Amino acid sequence: MTPRKTALSPGSPAPKPRSNGKPDNALAAELTRLLGPQKVLSNLSERLNYRYDAIQFGATPLAVVLPESTADVVTAVRAARAAGVPIVGRGAASGLSGGAAPALPGLVISFTRMTRLAIFPERREARAQAGVVTLAVTEKARPFGLIYPPDPASFRTSTIGGNLGENAGGPLCFKYGVSGDYVKALEFVDADGEVHELTRDAYDLAGLLIGSEGTLGLITEATLRLTPPPQYTRTLMASFPEVGACAEAVSAAIAAGAVPGKLEFMDRACTNAVEDYLHLGLPREAEAVLLVDTDGDDLETVEEERALVEAACLAAGGTVRRAASDAESAALWQARRSVSPALGRIRPQRMNEDIVVPRSALPDVVREIRALGDASGFHVVQFGHIGDGNLHPNILFDPRRESAEAVHDLAHRIALVAIRYGGVLSGEHGIGTMKRPFMREAVDPVTLAALWDVKRALDPAGALNPGKVLPDETGSDHARP
Amino acid sequence: MNNDIPVQHIGPQGEVMAHAVDACVHCGFCLPACPTYALLGDEMDSPRGRIVLMKEVLEGALPLADAAPHLDRCLGCQACVTACPSGVPYGELITSFRGWSEPQRERSPLDRAKRAAILKILPAPKVFSLAARVGQYTKPLAPVLPTALRAPLDLLPEHVPAMQPSPRVTPARGQRRGRVAFLAGCAQQALAPNFNAATLRVLARNGIEVVLPEGQGCCGAAALHTGAREEALRLVRQNLAAFDPGDYDAILSNAAGCGAGLKEYPVVLHGLPDEAQARAFAVKVQDISEFLAGLLREGDLEPFLPTSRPLTVAYHDACHLAHAQGVRAAPRELLRAIPGVTVLEVPEGDLCCGSAGTYNLEQPELANQLGVRKARNILSTMPDLIASGNIGCHTQIQSHVRRQGSRVPVLHTVEVLDLAYRGEL
Repeated sequence: MTPRKTALSPGSPAPKPRSNGKPDNALAAELTRLLGPQKVLSNLSERLNYRYDAIQFGATPLAVVLPESTADVVTAVRAARAAGVPIVGRGAASGLSGGAAPALPGLVISFTRMTRLAIFPERREARAQAGVVTLAVTEKARPFGLIYPPDPASFRTSTIGGNLGENAGGPLCFKYGVSGDYVKALEFVDADGEVHELTRDAYDLAGLLIGSEGTLGLITEATLRLTPPPQYTRTLMASFPEVGACAEAVSAAIAAGAVPGKLEFMDRACTNAVEDYLHLGLPREAEAVLLVDTDGDDLETVEEERALVEAACLAAGGTVRRAASDAESAALWQARRSVSPALGRIRPQRMNEDIVVPRSALPDVVREIRALGDASGFHVVQFGHIGDGNLHPNILFDPRRESAEAVHDLAHRIALVAIRYGGVLSGEHGIGTMKRPFMREAVDPVTLAALWDVKRALDPAGALNPGKVLPDETGSDHARP
Repeated sequence: MNNDIPVQHIGPQGEVMAHAVDACVHCGFCLPACPTYALLGDEMDSPRGRIVLMKEVLEGALPLADAAPHLDRCLGCQACVTACPSGVPYGELITSFRGWSEPQRERSPLDRAKRAAILKILPAPKVFSLAARVGQYTKPLAPVLPTALRAPLDLLPEHVPAMQPSPRVTPARGQRRGRVAFLAGCAQQALAPNFNAATLRVLARNGIEVVLPEGQGCCGAAALHTGAREEALRLVRQNLAAFDPGDYDAILSNAAGCGAGLKEYPVVLHGLPDEAQARAFAVKVQDISEFLAGLLREGDLEPFLPTSRPLTVAYHDACHLAHAQGVRAAPRELLRAIPGVTVLEVPEGDLCCGSAGTYNLEQPELANQLGVRKARNILSTMPDLIASGNIGCHTQIQSHVRRQGSRVPVLHTVEVLDLAYRGEL
């Protein structure tokens, strides 16, 4: 955070304008010399805007580079290394783990201008630069009868580079897999500024880069696998009088053989927050709402699967409604995508988790988290990709009235519930700084040491996105939300 | 968003601003909705970036002059408000901020004179008409003039029509079914007098008596959105004195920008003694299309004559109707109610046309890029007619569509309805 000065009051003289375009520091000056003023941001007003993602504010960078090519990235990385400052990659900063919010002042490389995208329909591939907006891949591939399935809620904003850095998921991931499952090859710039092209052969170094949050290298381009979209999709909404019943219905439906394309859950507070935004007539009274798409190329199977899900929901005490049109189904999915930001209507700040637990444990886990929330006095809400056991418990709070310490403790207890049931801490958002303090409980010391060995091998100086993913080796870190 | 905005120093407008900043969860959902982010691709020129910049300036952590270029580029189109799940009242934030910061701005004498001239001429229909006439004759000189003078000339139609003053009272035709007050607007009286004439005819035909209350003036939106808060307050209070909401079923505007401005009065007067009066006024305000669609839904709208041939109408969502007032369905329903009309959806329909009040005068380059893009998107639908509900959009779209070589008529929605009643479509 920047130091606070006395606030301006009406009528007080306006401060003198800064000399726009003149770099504030040596790094910015050097970058401007190398790349030209169009690709380098050095004014405070510009740099302040590259210190946050969608969950956290970090340190204001010394300079921001907006590269237009991999060569620009190489130049920027070498200049930052020569200056001895950290390097943080950034897409659209819609991430939810603090991955793109710098822990220390340094260089931010923002990929939003690297937007070259080519579709190769005959190979069912797309080649995308890191700054391509996620949804743009599907939009450009659709005329060729192809789509790019990974669909994080922010896909209108988020970038391919950011998605790969966090290994982002979305509702379609239950059936179709997460971002990393669609990568055929990667180009990345390493900590020394060398460019590498990786494929998924042994060693699968591309797999190592995916989800590494820019701590091992900077992904500059990717070859992505495209698929034909399912011919038929049917949407269903079920509402339940109790959260656990919803989870039971999910387990039962999947056990009965249904493989829905999407299987999403939101609790009552989430439903009400999005209903306040979109006014769709969602069931405000239900304790849990389940949104389901069954899809495929065989209509009979798609409808059979929907019937299986319906039966499981009814058996668990739910009420079922079928979407009558494509427009209704689109509106329901827009509602689901809006849940996370809509929670801002309840409290201004939140601690957001991303746990994954075995599906069989879901009813117990959602009930335990619900009970923890009820006992805590905080607004604890739950939603997520319940089909693959990926839940987003969120603790909503007002930092002016509620203690961040207490929020952190509660978040820790929620994380422990997941771990106790054999779960993990991050399904799709990444670790960032938000979940870093819990890593010691989630990963055993031997594995953690191996992860540190990997980090040191690829980034010996610790220049790449320091303070993310791995806890300090000394064990002295206590990051706070 | 966490903030230390010193509300107690700033006063009631500080509350408005702090509330908006509080509500932002910096998710970035607004980025793809923002016209300047689409053109410039950097965070400072996105709604999220601007919220952070305003917060920093209000907290005293960033000099106003540093933030100003990015804040000045905001069109105030409020597409971000539509895209925002957490309900940030961005329009209220930027308007309040402009009002709060304008007295502290350092501007060149030329800049000051230009802004003062815009705010003097725009709200005075007679002066505007005169200026437009002069402009019409100097139009051929446009290519050799500096940008500041060229921009307004480019937007002028080839023919500036004669003013048609509206009568104080237009009686209902047939049995009187309602009585409304009407805000006549400013620039449009000079540039497109038929908007008001068509509005009065359509209302009268539906049994609605229309009153233009004496003493009404400019809605104040142009002053408000350029930070001239004192001038805006004067205009707001002038209209509150002229319109007694108890006397009318509704207070109507046929300009999206003005209607949105009238609905903003309670925010402008937040924390002041006449706030309650502004609330009583604002609940009665409706866009002409909202009011007519209300009649249509009740089955009370006089039926239209069918068109002489199948007609496609590309409907352009004015930002101040769609985003600021949430009016999207009403104009489409009305147009579809004309037998023979098919309404076409414009690609990138949520994106501003670049007119945005005085924006095309203050930021001509960005406004021009958006205008070109909008005209291209509209013409891609190959419409027989283009309809919209705002004088600013109308002028901008007409100018850019013509420059792209198209002669497609550009009309106000209510003009289309009027033609349908007369059997002239």
